[in-house]
Amino acid sequence: MRRIGIVVLAALAFLGLSALAEGNIKAGFIYVGPIGDYGWSHAHNEAREIVDQGFDWLETLYVESVPEGEVETFIDQLVAQGCNVIFATSFGFMDGTLAAAQRHPDVIFAHCSGFKRAPNMATYMADFYQVYYLNGLMAGALTKTGKIGYVGAFPIPEVKRHINAFTIGAREVNPNAEVHVKWIYEWFNPAAAKEAAEALIAEGCDVFAFTEDSPTVVQVAAEHGLPSFGHYSPMYDFAPDYVVSGQLVHWEAIYRDFLKKIHDGVYTPKNLQHVDYWWLLSQGAVEVGAKPGMMINPVFEDDLKACVIDHPVFGKISAYDLVMTRYNQMADPGVTFDPFQGPVYDRKGNLVIPEGMWPSVDTLITLEWAVEGVVGPWPGEPEE
Amino acid sequence: MDWQSWLIGIVGRALAFGTPLLWGTLGEIYAERAGVVNLGVEGMMVLGAFSAFAVAQSTGHPGLGILVAALVGGGAALIHAFLTVTLRANQYVSGLALTMFGLGLAGLLGRGWEGIPLKQPLPSVTVPGLSKIPLLGPMLFEDQSILTYIGLVLAVVLWLLLYRTRWGIVLRSVGESPATADALGVNVFLVRYLAVILGGVLAGVAGGYLSVEYRPSWTEGMTAGMGWIVIALTIFAGWDPLQAIWGSLFFGALYHLSYRLQAWLPPELLKLMPYAFAILVLAIAGLSGRRRGAPGALGVPYTRGEK
Repeated sequence: MRRIGIVVLAALAFLGLSALAEGNIKAGFIYVGPIGDYGWSHAHNEAREIVDQGFDWLETLYVESVPEGEVETFIDQLVAQGCNVIFATSFGFMDGTLAAAQRHPDVIFAHCSGFKRAPNMATYMADFYQVYYLNGLMAGALTKTGKIGYVGAFPIPEVKRHINAFTIGAREVNPNAEVHVKWIYEWFNPAAAKEAAEALIAEGCDVFAFTEDSPTVVQVAAEHGLPSFGHYSPMYDFAPDYVVSGQLVHWEAIYRDFLKKIHDGVYTPKNLQHVDYWWLLSQGAVEVGAKPGMMINPVFEDDLKACVIDHPVFGKISAYDLVMTRYNQMADPGVTFDPFQGPVYDRKGNLVIPEGMWPSVDTLITLEWAVEGVVGPWPGEPEE
Repeated sequence: MDWQSWLIGIVGRALAFGTPLLWGTLGEIYAERAGVVNLGVEGMMVLGAFSAFAVAQSTGHPGLGILVAALVGGGAALIHAFLTVTLRANQYVSGLALTMFGLGLAGLLGRGWEGIPLKQPLPSVTVPGLSKIPLLGPMLFEDQSILTYIGLVLAVVLWLLLYRTRWGIVLRSVGESPATADALGVNVFLVRYLAVILGGVLAGVAGGYLSVEYRPSWTEGMTAGMGWIVIALTIFAGWDPLQAIWGSLFFGALYHLSYRLQAWLPPELLKLMPYAFAILVLAIAGLSGRRRGAPGALGVPYTRGEK
């Protein structure tokens, strides 16, 4: 795939020599995977196509399946082709992108999911933790065994944050619910995801969520007649009767804003040192849904409405109304709720977020603990 | 968590995950028995997986998908046979090239097919009557693939062919000493071609199983290294089709256990368990000094008239 990417690049190099019109932006996107992976790189590329069509002053190029260690070479090529904005869309591109940013001080860089910035290098991320929390509320209402299965890719802060948010949601509806976690140590491995899901089913789990770049868990759950939540791409079509909801991303929200501000002269290669996009529901960078526009699969609406709980804040409320209420609290521009609103205790009994406090972004991106209700190994779990 | 549910889980999943390994290993055993190493299993499998999905999705017939996967696998193996038998190219280089070629081609052709669920997967079978037997029923006869049973029967048939028929003697002699076989009037080239193609056919079916039965959808690179486990299993099984059954089931069970045991053992350790075991077996085979059935002329191109 990379070879094709290079051919495309070489062909475009000839076309790209024509000088950019004044004020026009030529943005280069660098992907770590193939655009057909139906996961991360696919989503970034869809967003690129959307913004490319949205602005007549914008031209875009991309390279796919770029090995993390070789990102600088690819950046140099894109710059040589006239790109004045570069998006590096993998955590592993961080150091290479920073080095390239220092070598090309007039080019604007944006690195996705990292934490290193420069005057000409911003960072951005669309995070799912609020969405996972809302999915958790639904899962807590739908589980009959009280055991919810979660197939995780790697035990890193991002995945841990999502499992925690999901568990907090599940236990808000069903205080005895447990979230059983299996790790597969890969971002993409359908066979591993399948066997992990089968193992969870054997342990009695009856609702599923996951972090992995294929729809395997959704398919396995549906084979057993069990509900699940899609991840990253719309997975409704894989099991229309069983996908309750899921996490969807809209990178274009960030790309549109960032590129517009460059075009308007707000962002320059001199003032990005503190530009960090951490975009959530309220900015429209993520969406909760089985597919775009379908927040909750109608198949499950009745079950969620029938599940009425005694909520400490809202009193008697159905799971369905609770999801809607919490969604509105987080999706409105003036956000009034955070899933990690204190007090939050980890499963060893430590108070990790004090009463009434919200976690900072720093706390969230370095989070290692597991909340109460998470069952299973948790590599890197803090002691004491 | 009673022991019965564990046993049912382990055996049932070992069969499901072991099936593609068994098909692939049986094929590789035959190719290597004829003296040809084919490291292209991963490539042939992934081509099989893609073609099976594309055909099953467009025609609505998963069985037809499997059939086409077999043909595609056989076709890919034909390339390897031509390069290594006729042109006497280095078997390892050719096999590796086939793997990369297969992964690349399937990825390219498969672009438009990603993210689509298969309309009509290969239905799983529950054997009437037998599935009612306590313990054994749910373990062996519930929700299994027809390809699992065919694979098990095939292993026995291939074993009988190899050790109990004249055909088997011919095949083995070609792998042990092609010059002698040639002197006795055996068409070494033809036997090697057929064995390598059979290997491709079975690897193609293994791939087809993945995309129309095990996980009914197509994703680039979905074989995820299974072809390499097959290579290890071929050695692990001592080039014996019956041992391949135990080998595949054992790997399948280890794979399942690596998730079941996560609550008690570090997942990193469990994850490498099957591979650590493969290394261990190879080391034991090497240290014990026994050849464990490795064909004498394995990996050596045959040229007529050379000593």
